[in-house]
Amino acid sequence: MTRLQTREAVIGYGGAPIVRGVDVDIPDGRITAIVGPNGCGKSTLLRALVRLLSPSSGTVLLDGEDIHRVPTREVARRVGLLPQSPIAPAGITVKELVARGRTPHQKVLRPWSAQDETAVMSALHSTALTDIQDVVVDELSGGQRQRAWIAMTLAQDTPLMILDEPTTYLDIAHQYDVMDLLHRLNTRQERTIVMVVHDLHQAARYAHHVIAMRDGVVAAAGAPGDVLTEELIRDVFSLEARVLTDPVTGTPLVVPAHGPGGAR
Amino acid sequence: MRILRIGPLGITTHRRTFAVGLVMLAALAALVIFALVQGQSGITVLDSLKAAVGIPVGAPADFIVGQVRAPRALTAVLVGAMLGVAGAVLQSLTRNPLASPDFIGISMGAGTGAVLTIWLVGATSLWVTAAGAVVGALTTAALILALSWRRGIVPLRLILAGIGMGFVAQAVTQYALTRMDVHDAGNALGWLVGSVTGRTWTHVSVAAAVLAILLPVVLWHARSLRTMEMGDDAARALGIPVGSSRAVLAVCSVLLAAGAVAVTGPIGFIALVAPALALRATRSAGVTLLPSALMGALLLLAADQLSQLMPATLQFPVGVFTAVVGAPYLLWLVWRASRGGPS
Repeated sequence: MTRLQTREAVIGYGGAPIVRGVDVDIPDGRITAIVGPNGCGKSTLLRALVRLLSPSSGTVLLDGEDIHRVPTREVARRVGLLPQSPIAPAGITVKELVARGRTPHQKVLRPWSAQDETAVMSALHSTALTDIQDVVVDELSGGQRQRAWIAMTLAQDTPLMILDEPTTYLDIAHQYDVMDLLHRLNTRQERTIVMVVHDLHQAARYAHHVIAMRDGVVAAAGAPGDVLTEELIRDVFSLEARVLTDPVTGTPLVVPAHGPGGAR
Repeated sequence: MRILRIGPLGITTHRRTFAVGLVMLAALAALVIFALVQGQSGITVLDSLKAAVGIPVGAPADFIVGQVRAPRALTAVLVGAMLGVAGAVLQSLTRNPLASPDFIGISMGAGTGAVLTIWLVGATSLWVTAAGAVVGALTTAALILALSWRRGIVPLRLILAGIGMGFVAQAVTQYALTRMDVHDAGNALGWLVGSVTGRTWTHVSVAAAVLAILLPVVLWHARSLRTMEMGDDAARALGIPVGSSRAVLAVCSVLLAAGAVAVTGPIGFIALVAPALALRATRSAGVTLLPSALMGALLLLAADQLSQLMPATLQFPVGVFTAVVGAPYLLWLVWRASRGGPS
């Protein structure tokens, strides 16, 4: 089953299209990783999946309906997005930031409800931020800050969560922290997660479904073991690579086939 | 985050914001009363208050308080509030503390519109001048947007284009002044300084009407405004119609600034300073509209009262006074920005 899909979607910013006719199906209740070299159109595709961009032709379907026919607020109740570089208002506390995630559920002149409070507290709990909920976001470490933003997206309480490079700018421990968190959200809360990631190792370990893009089209899509092959890495990233087996998880482990300076 | 809920309408606010708002409201009430009773006319406090609300108490008080002090104080309160909200909205939309309508040329544009109206139509009625100011402000805002637009609003370009447009607007104003009838030019010049002196109940009605129409619209979009501070993508993903909300809010901000200029002439720095002070007082994360309005009202009324307490030779119009106080704040902002601190 898939609630979110594209059909022959051509997407761009007015000039030449960046995504050139892609059919993508996001499997429900799974983690999907979109990978590809810089400029391949993966972030553009992601933006179209949350309706930040509209395809110049083709469609993005949410629950079978053209996403542009669905009201803005309704989209925001079904699909949550963590953008690449969101701005935390100066002086905002963790809980206040997380509470902003409730925006699509609120109306002018409608007070903060018990349901809002429950969603915020549960988001803080899932991201282990309960103890520091009153700390100002500017004072957090990079990893904590990213968890706070993920908590905001969680409080939005959408079945689909879309994250644009959630681990960029984090050190390695915090990167895996975030990935483990996404894995827990997926398994325990059955949230469908779509993320753009640069690290193929993370994609292989954490995603059930990998979409590899090159030059604005989908080069391959499927289980990590089927997609992340030596041929595909050469084809998509122009990199000679060896694909080993991750000794911990048994998933594909991609390493360049050349040593430093190009030595074999 | 401690949240306070008020009444069946369900206005949600932080306790601290609410408390600070109450304090500002009390201070404003006290300052209004002070403005009504202060002065050398031998009118008792009680008579002043009665005259202010329209209870006849005899010749001098009915005129001095009822027709001079009360409309002057109310004009200051309403225009201060308009400037406070106009500045708060613009600073929030551009995410820049320098973007206030008086700093990016919109107030100058409103002034140009008003002066051109006085030149071409004559200073017939305040409503006509106000309409001229609105046309001038909207034209200037449209030109600034056209000059700075690059697939969206680029805050720094907007501010630079605004400063440039401000100079253009001033040049047009100067030209109009040289071509005008001397009597009209005198009127226009006096008005261009920015003052609440000699304002009547007509001025109060214009200001009240503008505020009564625009403030609810702005408040209705307050949540959108706050959410857009997190970036356009984040706001859209949270279900905010970014394009239309931003357009409505920008137009409201320009109209509020234009209305303020129409009533009192351009009064600088209130729109720049009031939102920043309101933020500091409430320690709120992101824009606070009503505290900005209250802060603007307090600042303008206080500035006018202070200028009246000066010895006669130093009784500048309030526009000069706010510039003297506001300029150091602007320099401080620039100094902080140049040190790379948070702005």
